[in-house]
Amino acid sequence: MGIVSRAFRNIARRKMRALLVIVALGFALSIMISIPAGVLANEKTANTVASNLSNLINQTGATINQTLTQITCSIPSSNAGFGFTLPSGTSGGTGTYRSGGYGGGSGGSGFTPGQQFGGGTVGGYFGGGAFNGGQATPMNESLYGDINTSIAGVAAVEPILEASEGNNVTRTVDYGGYTHAVTSLNVTYEIEGIPLTVSLVDNYPILPTNITAGSNLQAGDSGDVLLSESNSAYFGAGVGDSVTILGQSFTVVGIYNPASVLDAQTLYMNLSDAQAITNNTGYITSLTVFAQNSGDVSSVATAISTLHPELTVSTAQDKESQLSTEESGYTTALASADASDSQTNSTAIEEIVVVILATSLIVLFVMLYTVKERTKEIGTLKAIGFSNSTVMSQFMLEGILLSIIAGVVGIAIGMIAAPTIASSLLPSVGAAPRATAGGAVILGTTRFGALAVATLTPELVLLGFGLAILLGTLGSLYPAWRAAKIRPAEAMRYE
Amino acid sequence: MSKTVLQSDKPVPQPLQPASQAGKPVLQLENLSKTYTLGKREVPALANLNLTVNAGEFVAIMGPSGSGKTTLLNVIGCIDKPTKGKVLLDGIDASALPENQLYKIRRDKMGFVFQTFNLLPYLNARENVELPMEGRGKSKAEQTQRAKELLAMVGLSGREEHRPQRLSAGEQQRVAIARALANNPAIILADEPTGNLDSQNKQGIIKLLGNLNLNQGTTIIMVTHDSQAARNTERMLLLKDGKIVKEMQGLHANKKGQTCPHCGSRIQATDDKCPACKKPIYASDELF
Repeated sequence: MGIVSRAFRNIARRKMRALLVIVALGFALSIMISIPAGVLANEKTANTVASNLSNLINQTGATINQTLTQITCSIPSSNAGFGFTLPSGTSGGTGTYRSGGYGGGSGGSGFTPGQQFGGGTVGGYFGGGAFNGGQATPMNESLYGDINTSIAGVAAVEPILEASEGNNVTRTVDYGGYTHAVTSLNVTYEIEGIPLTVSLVDNYPILPTNITAGSNLQAGDSGDVLLSESNSAYFGAGVGDSVTILGQSFTVVGIYNPASVLDAQTLYMNLSDAQAITNNTGYITSLTVFAQNSGDVSSVATAISTLHPELTVSTAQDKESQLSTEESGYTTALASADASDSQTNSTAIEEIVVVILATSLIVLFVMLYTVKERTKEIGTLKAIGFSNSTVMSQFMLEGILLSIIAGVVGIAIGMIAAPTIASSLLPSVGAAPRATAGGAVILGTTRFGALAVATLTPELVLLGFGLAILLGTLGSLYPAWRAAKIRPAEAMRYE
Repeated sequence: MSKTVLQSDKPVPQPLQPASQAGKPVLQLENLSKTYTLGKREVPALANLNLTVNAGEFVAIMGPSGSGKTTLLNVIGCIDKPTKGKVLLDGIDASALPENQLYKIRRDKMGFVFQTFNLLPYLNARENVELPMEGRGKSKAEQTQRAKELLAMVGLSGREEHRPQRLSAGEQQRVAIARALANNPAIILADEPTGNLDSQNKQGIIKLLGNLNLNQGTTIIMVTHDSQAARNTERMLLLKDGKIVKEMQGLHANKKGQTCPHCGSRIQATDDKCPACKKPIYASDELF
């Protein structure tokens, strides 16, 4: 009958108490090992987020620089009706009512060269000054090759073809006494055809950046399409599915989240594909000219206007300010990610200190109670010749054994519940800090790296065992000492 | 009188003959005083007490409450230290030993029997008896062997593996006596051993102690205020105000002297009743 088996029997003797201690300690220990796991996971996520953010800030900075070099050229159709045909059904392009609306005039007769396209947006902007912007007139692409060759300071030229598809919707409008049946185009999607050449795709911001599924279009892609999230819903198609656009089948390579609501319905494809399916081979709706540097923009713009007086030439000041806002949003988010990380660490330390104290106190009080309850037994042991140190080690061993059992339980709980425990006790585990720029959420777990999931490493399991033994020792030390100090005369007391 | 001071953790060497040689002093109390301090008042519990107990004696210490019985027992048992005087146990001056050596005296020289038995409830009878043998260099098998022999000696063969709650009060006290004998002590120190027993078990325990004394030569010092139990010992001491005020011979002396206490005729030590006058030798309610 050794000291160890006696300790086990004593634990088994008070089953409910042992169970309570084991469960309480087990939970405490699982918290103690889950928190570092959570902190590690959080740190990893924060690092990922921070590095993604710094990349994004750099990218946005680069985009701003590129945007500053961007010049949009298009031919507005001076009298192109905005959105409406005449009640008489006269074909689009001569409408007189400029009652606004999204989508613009319907050509009414499909897409043929030389005809007006509905829903053209200029330079990606539809909103600001929409009523004055007018419609883009198709341009013969071959007429504008000289912009790239004969104007100094031009870095690249991106020919763009934009087209809208939709249904004609007829409604009755009351114009101060007399009514007209008005037919307008309800846009279902907008096609943006851009040249997928290596030099443009790699060097210029011609494609959306916020890909939420699949991948972006690559240089040389043909027969592929990048859908916006609302396109994806409209077509009911995801990554890898094929969609039919104007009678032609395309493969969805990816889905993006538009930075602006104005682009919500825009899908991207190769320029040549767009020209083919809209019967516009050789035609485009606008040109984006990239100057070699932002200082050249006005001279290049003037040169383009001189060379091609029919073009409306605009630079992208608006876009620059939007990107600047976005950049500052990212910077704020980076700061908040750092702050969140340090807050996580201090919270973790506070919680671990509390749990260690609580655990030691549990062991302390339970062992003190046990010693008090067994005063007579201890007195007897000492009367029949047990030394103080034997009695003390007996009680130490009981406390440590209890803690080790609790440690096993705690590790088991931790294995199962570490992510839950860590995410409920630590700020922003599993959810990266969020910030907004331009009204859109720009930061979230999906976009900025891995979800933080606390996992128990072998080191943490060892740490758990170590802590169990340490806390068992700490909590039992005083009660065991008290036990050792009990006088053998206590054995003589009558109950 | 040679004086030995224990230095090492080794067990006190056991004499081959149990509990010293019969007739030689095994316990000597010399000018023993013990004073308790209650607040500012000094309360004398033992006052200049002298006592010699020889090996093989069966002694009862009696006295009213507050007479110093418990204090005396604690001092003899090396549980308490005297304020003044000497406690010589089997030749060892226990009163000179430091606190951290006294447990060895208790383990090797003393066997305690308590009023409330004080068995460990989570150990069976055999394990309880093995308990004092721990740390004395005996193998597990030797401990078990000895425990079984002792349990057989106190009449508990076949009940070795029972836990205390499955034993009667009398049986529990027998286990406690076996435990007290485990290390072949110089003195069995019994504190009201019959105090929690019914009369039948009381007689059984007294008879068991008497037989141990008679057959094994075990020295027994029993503190009691049960006069019936005390009368059945060999030597009765009456304690009052911390002093031994009276000493009488008990019926156990008659057994040893093989004389009937009633008619004076010759008897055998094993006789329960006098063959001549047919009266029981021990004082009893019913049994003897």
